[in-house]
Amino acid sequence: MKRDEILIRLFSEENKPSALENVKVVEIADENFAAAIAGSLLAEMGARVTRIEVGDEAMKISPYGVTINGVGIPYLVESRNKEIVKFNESVKDLIFSADIIIDGTMPGFLEELGIGYRNVSERNPAVIYVAISPFGHYTSKAKEFKNVPDSDLTAQAYNGYPTLIGNPYLTGEHSYPLRAGLWAAWIMAGVNAAVGALIALLERLKSGKGQFVDIATNDAIAVVTTFSAVMGFLFDKPRGRFGTIDYLLYPFGYHKAKDGYIALATPTDADFRALLKILKRWDLEPDWKYTLDRISDDLERIRILDEELNKTLQKFTVKELLKKASKLRKSKLPFLSRFLGRPVIVKINTLREVLQDEHWKIRKSFLRIKIDGKEVIIPNSPIKSSETPPKVSYPTYPRVPGSQERGATPGEG
Amino acid sequence: MTDYFDFIKSLMEGEKREEALKGLRVVEITHFIFGPNIGRVLAQYGAEVVKIETPGEGDRYRIAAIFGRFYKRANLLYAILNANKYIIAADARNEKARKIIFELIKKADVFVENLSAGLVDAMGIGYEAIRKVNPRIIYVSCSGYGQYGPLSRLPSFDVAAQGVAGVAMKTGWEDLDEFYKLPDYFGDYLPSMYAVFAVLSALYFRENTGKGQYIDISQCESLMRFMYDFTYFSLTGEEIGKTGNLDPASVPSGIFRTKDGKFVAISILTSSQFEALKSLIPQLENGNRFEKSRARDLNKIVAKWVEERNLEEILELAKKHRFPASPVLDDKEIAFDPWRWERGSILKVKDRLLGELPVPGPIIAMSATPGKIKWLGRPVGYHNRLILKKWLGLSDREIDELEKEGVIGYWDEMPGLAPPATWDAEKDEVFRGEKDEEG
Repeated sequence: MKRDEILIRLFSEENKPSALENVKVVEIADENFAAAIAGSLLAEMGARVTRIEVGDEAMKISPYGVTINGVGIPYLVESRNKEIVKFNESVKDLIFSADIIIDGTMPGFLEELGIGYRNVSERNPAVIYVAISPFGHYTSKAKEFKNVPDSDLTAQAYNGYPTLIGNPYLTGEHSYPLRAGLWAAWIMAGVNAAVGALIALLERLKSGKGQFVDIATNDAIAVVTTFSAVMGFLFDKPRGRFGTIDYLLYPFGYHKAKDGYIALATPTDADFRALLKILKRWDLEPDWKYTLDRISDDLERIRILDEELNKTLQKFTVKELLKKASKLRKSKLPFLSRFLGRPVIVKINTLREVLQDEHWKIRKSFLRIKIDGKEVIIPNSPIKSSETPPKVSYPTYPRVPGSQERGATPGEG
Repeated sequence: MTDYFDFIKSLMEGEKREEALKGLRVVEITHFIFGPNIGRVLAQYGAEVVKIETPGEGDRYRIAAIFGRFYKRANLLYAILNANKYIIAADARNEKARKIIFELIKKADVFVENLSAGLVDAMGIGYEAIRKVNPRIIYVSCSGYGQYGPLSRLPSFDVAAQGVAGVAMKTGWEDLDEFYKLPDYFGDYLPSMYAVFAVLSALYFRENTGKGQYIDISQCESLMRFMYDFTYFSLTGEEIGKTGNLDPASVPSGIFRTKDGKFVAISILTSSQFEALKSLIPQLENGNRFEKSRARDLNKIVAKWVEERNLEEILELAKKHRFPASPVLDDKEIAFDPWRWERGSILKVKDRLLGELPVPGPIIAMSATPGKIKWLGRPVGYHNRLILKKWLGLSDREIDELEKEGVIGYWDEMPGLAPPATWDAEKDEVFRGEKDEEG
């Protein structure tokens, strides 16, 4: 049997349990989507997640205000598998008996309502309390800025992300720091929070005790990616906008071809040589032979190579470049291929192209659900796990508190 | 009653319990970032992680130093990503080495690999082979596009995955025909954190059932998971594409230049935040603020308002009126940010080989079982002796033989691979396998 078939069978979803069955989670938040993402991850793995609404803003937040039945897109996507209720006195029992509480409100807000960690842990010492906020729930700065609400963009900014994005050779407004086009800080914070919740949950199996887990969205990217701390130590200056080039490897970015764009990476010197071979630019080899020749904090120096490569790449169509790269990959001597090198070249896809790709259909990377007769595409969990596949469903979605119930039928994967 | 923030602080500084993941054994054959970051996180919270590299060059990330700058012959990026790990080097082309690798994985709770899809099968350490001898194994394969499907054999890298996943076209200026990658290897770090989540879920399931499992996670699908643009596309038939500094789900929003030449990010999500800003800028009229052309107009009004104020003034107003605003930090400001030092997300480690230096702290702050950075990534093959004795019970003589035969090996004399020039092998008991690392 072919490897693909074996794996598809191994990962089949039929009649399998979920990893986090019987884990009771409450997610208390309004517009903080890092908290919703954390809850979603746990829900994908089968935890019973109840989202407790402390406001009614989250469902209005959507790109250009686009909603379906009055519900915004991020809210729709992140309400997977969740029970959604409004905050009131009757949900307090739920909170006090939870295994995991995700608090996406302003620091101290839940304590004012009598459901902060101090209150809950007194009655339920096994509770795992995951707080998500811009500066966390301790430190002097957290206290000073406790009333400044969270947002992805401000968190990106405090993580230093926008200062890295852009073309270093541009001036004027195009030299401003630039945001990452998706919720980079909220996404990372949400995933980190789910990781923290599970580390604590595993530990609780040994100790029987819960604990306080704190996530600062303002640090969620920088604490993971390691670069800023190292720059601060080794250099007396920040990196700046290396958006089209890179500080570890070059080339490592997006480049324009004759008729479209490619992503190009040459992780090793052999890969770079292979690229030069494809492009018939051996003349560049002597000066730019080694990885260390090709990266520099001197932008004017690296510009010489960057411009030469861009000029040459634009002479080829995307198809030609892909074909040349794939030919290299088909070397008959697998042990040698490492020394021969092979640049990574892929076409940059539009969303339509992604959705049409057979590969993602086979992998069920997207779900198609029907809401009021309209087909809606929802990204699936990225995890394939053989014994406890994640599940994503919107059984009676959207069940917006206070509104009439609307049904959604799950469609084909 | 103690102030809330002081109370939480007292928890963070209070009594600690045994490390959360103590006793968990992890083996990884990984390189660059996606794979290694998984072991990094598990090791921060107490797991014993053995990383297997190729003798000589080791993990190819070792050579990828920031702007080519090494420190005491180490690449600090590698050293941080591979902190708390036991680094061994065995040549997988050699049959004896493959046997050693197999025996190590047999003893592990978790195995992580990010080689080309399917290569582990050729090495005799594929999931099916390991499961037969270790049914409790949680086996994680990391790749660009997943382990099956037509694209699975394509090589991948952070930028490539961003391109294939449709993420690439999201970041950039609207009026320019170019776009930028999500920096700092987001296409590696995000999937790796998601993978840690998957591993922990599987461990929890195993605690209840005794069953291990196979996990397949890809860079592309991890990125696509959070691309709400796909859903937007299915509803409207349009691709949002790049929108400069405007977050189209948050209006007004952007990064604006202040009077004192600095930058401030402002992002209005809720009606009350909008009203708060409107109380300061009366020209802001709500209407349907999210509508495309309105969003642009509102942003212009905010830009003008910001232009007339200093950064500090705006941050004070944000505190008082409760709307999201933040300075835009750069590397240096992050590295020296007093808040991060107080929080512990940057801290100093005293490493036996590299000396005292600042590193990012544990990724998740936990009150009772905080993460730790105990030692930094070691040279290629540094823990060969220690691990072969400790895990497989080999004698010094047996290990000598394996060295002679080239089954296991050490570093080439290159930056990123080798110990500091002043390091003395004779005096290093850990290197000689006589003593464990401390911490």
